[in-house]
Amino acid sequence: MPVFRFILQRVFQAVLVTLAVTLFVAFTVRLTGDPAVMLTAESSSVTEDDLVRIREALGLNQPFYAQYFDFIKSLVTFDLGNSFFRGSIRDLMAIALPSTLLLAVASMGISILISIPLGIHAALHKGGISDQIIRVLSLVGLSFPNFWLGIMFVLLLSIAFPILPASGFETWTALILPALTIGIILTATNVRLVRTQMLETLSQQYVMVARAKGLNERSVIYKHALRNAAIAIVTFLGLQFGNLIGGLVVVELVFNWPGMGTLSIEAIAQRDYPLLQATVSILAIMIVAVNLAVDLVYGLIDPRIRVA
Amino acid sequence: MPETTPPQASLLSVRDLSVEFGDVSSPARVVDGVSFDLDHNRTLAIVGESGSGKSITSLAILGLLKHLGGRVAGGELLFQSEVLGRQVDLGNLSERELRKIRGNEIAMIFQEPMTSLNPVYTIGSQMGETLALHQDLSRSAARRKALEFLDLVRLPNAKRLLGNYPHQLSGGMRQRVMIAMALCCQPKILIADEPTTALDVTIQAQILHIIRDLQAQMQTSVIFISHDMGVVSEMADDVLVMKASKPIEAGAVKEVLGHPKAPYTQALLAAVPRIGSMTGTTMPKLFDIPGLEIAPEEVPAKPVDRSKPVLEIEDLTVRFDIRGGLLSRVTHRVHAAEKVSFNIYPGETLALVGESGSGKSTVGKTIQQLQEPVSGAMRFHGQDIFSLPAEDRKAFRKQTQYVFQDPYGSLNPRKPVGESLIEPAWVHGLVTSRAEAKEKVADLLVKVGLPAEHADRFPHQFSGGQRQRLCIARALACDPSLIIADEAVSALDVSVQAQVVNLLMKLQAEQGLSYLFITHDMAVVERISHRVAVMYLGQIVEIGTRQQIFENPQHPYTKRLLSAVPVLNPGVRPTRTPLEGEIPNAMRAVGDEPAPIEFVAVSDGHFVAAQA
Repeated sequence: MPVFRFILQRVFQAVLVTLAVTLFVAFTVRLTGDPAVMLTAESSSVTEDDLVRIREALGLNQPFYAQYFDFIKSLVTFDLGNSFFRGSIRDLMAIALPSTLLLAVASMGISILISIPLGIHAALHKGGISDQIIRVLSLVGLSFPNFWLGIMFVLLLSIAFPILPASGFETWTALILPALTIGIILTATNVRLVRTQMLETLSQQYVMVARAKGLNERSVIYKHALRNAAIAIVTFLGLQFGNLIGGLVVVELVFNWPGMGTLSIEAIAQRDYPLLQATVSILAIMIVAVNLAVDLVYGLIDPRIRVA
Repeated sequence: MPETTPPQASLLSVRDLSVEFGDVSSPARVVDGVSFDLDHNRTLAIVGESGSGKSITSLAILGLLKHLGGRVAGGELLFQSEVLGRQVDLGNLSERELRKIRGNEIAMIFQEPMTSLNPVYTIGSQMGETLALHQDLSRSAARRKALEFLDLVRLPNAKRLLGNYPHQLSGGMRQRVMIAMALCCQPKILIADEPTTALDVTIQAQILHIIRDLQAQMQTSVIFISHDMGVVSEMADDVLVMKASKPIEAGAVKEVLGHPKAPYTQALLAAVPRIGSMTGTTMPKLFDIPGLEIAPEEVPAKPVDRSKPVLEIEDLTVRFDIRGGLLSRVTHRVHAAEKVSFNIYPGETLALVGESGSGKSTVGKTIQQLQEPVSGAMRFHGQDIFSLPAEDRKAFRKQTQYVFQDPYGSLNPRKPVGESLIEPAWVHGLVTSRAEAKEKVADLLVKVGLPAEHADRFPHQFSGGQRQRLCIARALACDPSLIIADEAVSALDVSVQAQVVNLLMKLQAEQGLSYLFITHDMAVVERISHRVAVMYLGQIVEIGTRQQIFENPQHPYTKRLLSAVPVLNPGVRPTRTPLEGEIPNAMRAVGDEPAPIEFVAVSDGHFVAAQA
């Protein structure tokens, strides 16, 4: 049962990583200061007694391991308690998590749809005019800061030509500009990745063997070369997706997108420690989950991982 | 273009073929004016050294040049196509028509079996693909046909094999799968491009046997591309010799290899080590290559003084742990070297021979202290090395130097070679000033037969053979008493190989060097070595003088190894029975230790493992 053992091993590792990460988050959040003091920083008439009562109510008087255990319990049951100022954290997550995932998936989707065909085309016409154009465009894309590209899109498509909404979450058209912004930025990197990986695979001997069998170029490229190139591409895209979930902050702010990034920035600004602890942990768990999924997909594509 | 089929035309007739690469304005011509005819059921061998254009010629036949950036610049490749029902010129056939011929009427097997199969598809799917493409077969009929051909190449367990992935197979098995895949559409021409070069010699004998057998059964014509004259002599009916993109000599194998006319063919054949050519002699002997720098009489063969060994290896054992299971416990061990013992004397060459996985390189690396042994002792000029503190052990490293197989990978491409050469001497404090270093570099270069002023050049400006000379020069920089040459000449063309072997012998005579010559090539061993140790699965199974091993081999493995070497005897087909199955590997479960080998003395200094 090598497949079963492979999966079990990866799941086991993912659980360990999650535990380590949440432990780290819970520990460092507490290093930023006394939550009771932070909570009451705005009000003037706080006595020492009030602080003690607040600590008691928040469970802060308990030892760290007990607090951590409660925190893990709350994560497992998804009963994340209350934020300082904004009510149930679960309700906040119920909006933020899907919207971040939606944005991340849409951006990745756009990027994949553009970069795979373009990357393959560039690899097949290495050194040709189209390859050079693709490389220059990719370099231009790499040099844009993503918020700047976002603002340009807003200026062009929401203000100069008001075709698409500049912000919000109410209609599906609101998704287009932020997703396009991130999608294009990602494409700049991905197109290069696909090109390099395809060039590498196309130079392998089994590609020549496939041609010598009499296969047409389409089968040679898509069946024999792309599937092998995909092994490295999937790994990279998986890491990128993980990064994306945690790194959407700036673009979410530009487009006023109610995602996890916005939520955690607000939690930091308001020193809302239960919310901060929850958002950071959930983001970390998401990233671990994505990596686990990548590992499993990787095993699916590459028999050398799956079959001993 | 001739569309009519003249009677009695050759199956494939190549007329004045030229191939060019690069810009049309300044092309590089890599095949220039090659002509040959291939008839039904004949084998034509194209021989030549690297860069001679022999592989490019074969890719031109399949119309695959454009994927490498090349094109047919002139000449015709006339092929009698049954599928297309006419004679066609493969050089200017449409891609659609070429695809009907490729894999179907003309199939090819490549040099590197390890990379010829796509790693992400099963053997069954890769074979089925070819069959589906060219033959109108149902799934189950295709499967039956695939099984039939896997059986023909004598792969055991063909049914299970169909579901296996390439990485689960050894190199020899993969090459047999490639042969089955190439032959499954019963092509009229099989192109085999160095099909056995990357394989062990006993596996090579097996693969060659299979190709010959199937050719006879299926009446296939074969174009056999090789650099190995022994293999060519065993396989070919006709030979075409190529050099630097031009044809040099062509004719029947007996003529070309037996009575070569062109000086190049003569020189090439003189450089081929022939097993058995040294029968009756006791000392190593230089290759006698016409027109080359070292004449045999310049290097007097000195008898070896066997009173004090340079290196004594005693019961050296090296094992590698294989971990498995959820907790990564050690479940198996590779017994790479198991109680290996031998001595090397001053001015002596001990050849350590064996096939892949025999542990011969592990022994070399352990002596060079690149690998820690599990147990055993190593004495260098009588001093026990493994018991010394780490600091002192380092000092001994300079006395043994390593020359690797790959001369391309072992020199820093960004440094002038002079710097690379002198680096070990700096490290060990043997040179202290720039002036001294410069003088030493010049001296080293001259020693290995290169001009002293080449010190400022970079590795890419040298040929493969020159680079190997540089590696030898670097090894000499520390004035070692022992050089470990690990397959040091295996990657070189045969004429270059002969020169490097001659250089090694000359240096030995001049400086009293000892060599541990690690190789799989028995013919070279016969030339260079004083004594030979044969390794099999981590153990030495036979050790003795060169003459004892070659003229009176005792162990069955030694005999098999010697008989597997292709013999340059044109027109005579080999009669050996090839090895069935695979070379086993030296992996064993924890606790399952191999029984220690008992040695029996055959004669003075000749020991063989006792057989149960």
